[in-house]
Amino acid sequence: MISSINIYCQDSFELTGYWGLPNTVTGTVLGFESNPSNFSFIKDWQFNILYGSEFSGEVNSTLYSIGISKTISAHNISVRYTPGYQKEFIQSTGETIIFNDSSSQSLSASYNYKELFGFGYSYKFSSQLNTGISLRYFNQEFNREIGTPVFGDTSNYFIRENLNEKINTWKADIGIDFNLNDKFKFKAATVNLLNFGDETQNDEFKGFELKQDLNAFIAASYLPAEQINFNLLFETSKSFQAGITGSAGNFIYGLTSFHDTYQQPFIAGVIPAFGYKNDFINVLLSGIKYFTDRKSSQDFNNFSSEGIHNIINNGYSYDKAVLSVSFVLNTLEVQKLKLIDVETVSDIYPALLNNYLSTPFAYGTVVNLTNENLEVKPSSKINGMHNEEIQSPSIIINPFDTVKVPYYTVIPENYKGDKPVLSYADFYIATSNNEPEDHIQKAILVNGINAWDGKVINLRYFINRDINFSMNYSKTVLSSYKELLDTIPAALSVFYKAKLLFNDFIKRLVYTSDPRATAEYVQFPKQTIEIKGGDCDDLSVAYCSLLESVGIQTALVDYKPDGDVRHVNVLFNTELDPNQAKFITTNDNKYFIRANNKSKDEIWIPVETTSLTDFNDAWNIGVEKFNKDAIDDLGIAKGTVEIIDVY
Amino acid sequence: MKTIIIFALLTFTLTAQTYKAVEVKGDVKYRSETSEKWNDLKPGSSIGIDEVISTGNNSSVKLQMRDLNFSLEENSALQVGNIKKMSMDELLLALAMEDMINVPLDNKKGTSDNTATYGTHENGKEVSSKINDDFGIKRLNGAMQLANSGLEESALLVAKETYRKYPGTKNISSYLIFFAYIFYSKGLYEEALNEFNQVKKLKLSSSEATKVETAIEEINKLLLNN
Repeated sequence: MISSINIYCQDSFELTGYWGLPNTVTGTVLGFESNPSNFSFIKDWQFNILYGSEFSGEVNSTLYSIGISKTISAHNISVRYTPGYQKEFIQSTGETIIFNDSSSQSLSASYNYKELFGFGYSYKFSSQLNTGISLRYFNQEFNREIGTPVFGDTSNYFIRENLNEKINTWKADIGIDFNLNDKFKFKAATVNLLNFGDETQNDEFKGFELKQDLNAFIAASYLPAEQINFNLLFETSKSFQAGITGSAGNFIYGLTSFHDTYQQPFIAGVIPAFGYKNDFINVLLSGIKYFTDRKSSQDFNNFSSEGIHNIINNGYSYDKAVLSVSFVLNTLEVQKLKLIDVETVSDIYPALLNNYLSTPFAYGTVVNLTNENLEVKPSSKINGMHNEEIQSPSIIINPFDTVKVPYYTVIPENYKGDKPVLSYADFYIATSNNEPEDHIQKAILVNGINAWDGKVINLRYFINRDINFSMNYSKTVLSSYKELLDTIPAALSVFYKAKLLFNDFIKRLVYTSDPRATAEYVQFPKQTIEIKGGDCDDLSVAYCSLLESVGIQTALVDYKPDGDVRHVNVLFNTELDPNQAKFITTNDNKYFIRANNKSKDEIWIPVETTSLTDFNDAWNIGVEKFNKDAIDDLGIAKGTVEIIDVY
Repeated sequence: MKTIIIFALLTFTLTAQTYKAVEVKGDVKYRSETSEKWNDLKPGSSIGIDEVISTGNNSSVKLQMRDLNFSLEENSALQVGNIKKMSMDELLLALAMEDMINVPLDNKKGTSDNTATYGTHENGKEVSSKINDDFGIKRLNGAMQLANSGLEESALLVAKETYRKYPGTKNISSYLIFFAYIFYSKGLYEEALNEFNQVKKLKLSSSEATKVETAIEEINKLLLNN
């Protein structure tokens, strides 16, 4: 006679039904049954308690399990203690012992099945793939009362004895999770893959052990929308489960029906569930409703011949309700942003001071890992150049979006490194609390202070670098010509200043071709004047700097490489009206007209700064080259000559 | 042998850039590209493409380069290099260059921030801006002769440059009308319209006014149809 039934899980059947939703929607209840690998989504710590009641005519409440799980990097370890996972069958053997006082005692047998504890380990290979193993410990205890005859001298009698045997066994299974995409997810696991432990010794109890048929299951989930999820699980024993689960805000719900090969009817029962979930706690109330009457006594012969395959779900299980509470403890900061990669698009040229304020030197690929808009604050630090991080402008990234984030930087004005250095840069991304979320280090070439990237437009940084020196130099020179400058008409002032400065500038210089033919090297104005020489870049930079320092508008003329030869010289604005040209030249070939930004025409003059005889020669040579290359050969229109205004 | 061939080619190239003054009448002078000084042009002299020729009253010069002859009439000036046939594409490129040469409009500063001045000349005497456009008119005369010789593209460029360098010449309606019609004939309607609109602002004779109005009307129709 079956007198007591408790149901506990053994194979793929879980007390709370089959939960296949993403873990952002549902929580876990540390079920080792449905998949040994399903702990990988736990971010840090999780504690879990299952408490429930059975309805066998009376309500029996019990603590089913306590579990704890911890994730370290890609590894997760779980331990579950299951004090309430047990089921006991009691049978009246039909034998009765009658005592001397005519009292009697019926003899009975008991078959007690327990799952005491389990261990789980899972490993997360990627966001798509994780696998795991579970190891569970079972205890089965069989006891049978028998009456043993004792033959005495005067009388024969029976004494009651207990026939007892304990079997301790282990069971191991493996499983795998594969998330194909956001809509399709798959699981597979073994059932009773490895079983080892004690063998039953007593013939009396052989055949009553928990059935350990080797099986496997596969499960698939389909998520047509974020709030709903269809699940199907099939076990090779030909049992299956089908369920629908979903969420509405923080509330979760589900309904699973199951077919069990070893139970009747075909759909043996359903498992409704309803719960609440937030970032810290997950409460789930579920129940099991069987479709057959479980409250009457059942034939022992069925139990004797078929045994049970599952402690909590078998033909003798009662309806039950289970309350599952999971506590989530995150001692780790949850990563919100990920910096996938950084591409440096430019070496660092320290001379180009403010260039990197407007032109990114690197781009980071950043992913928003959350479901909310995030403000991303990129910052970088170049080793040997910066003592602290340089912030770049913030960017808002949409949930789960991937964007390219530009990194700008600042070159310290006091940077003096004169040799190229293969350094490294640290790239950070942070959220609004300024705590770095991710970090990548990349090698970067920091050129010497005089290195130039070959873009003529960037020579303006060299021009501006020593502007105070240039101003002092120009002041000194022009002061020595004060009398002359005082007597000339005001309109000619710019022309004469430019002429006087050039003549003073070049009389002490010599032209030298660039000794660094491959690595472009440009001197700052002060260096050119102190070294007393330079090539076309150096001389043009220095002369522009002198003119700009006294308010004369200049432009660089970039004669693009024809073969290996590239050349740069200077234009300056005389600020003369075209009608005033005759005051500086009678030859209308020697100047050209540019409209200023107010559409007023002004006379500009080309000057070849490598002509170191005097201003007039430099002007004439500049005219010849400019007229031929820029005008007659249509160089400006064809792009072989470019005029680059310094400011 | 190779050396001789190269030398021969080089000689041809050099001579190809040079005209010969085959006939010189009256006051004809020339000036190199960067020189401030005019020199008398003698018959039989060679003259390079970078040089400018200027003729006085009742003066002219006939230039010859191989089979090409060009006569520059009185009161005209022309850079020898302008005596060339240009393609329409070259003309369009050259016209586009004007805008490219100008200071960018997005440059907020017409001049540098630095306004330092030295000496007292800022308050000193002013240069007279009295316009002397005689040489500009000579340039336009030279451009007209280019056009009349079939070198219209080159003529337009010379005229455009002259208008920039000698702004006073833009007040002479006959030249403006002449070159506006060349733009028109070349199908450069927007340029032609700009020129005619410039002319329209000047004091015109009644016949000129009629021609200009008619031209503007026709061009507007063409532009609308396009």
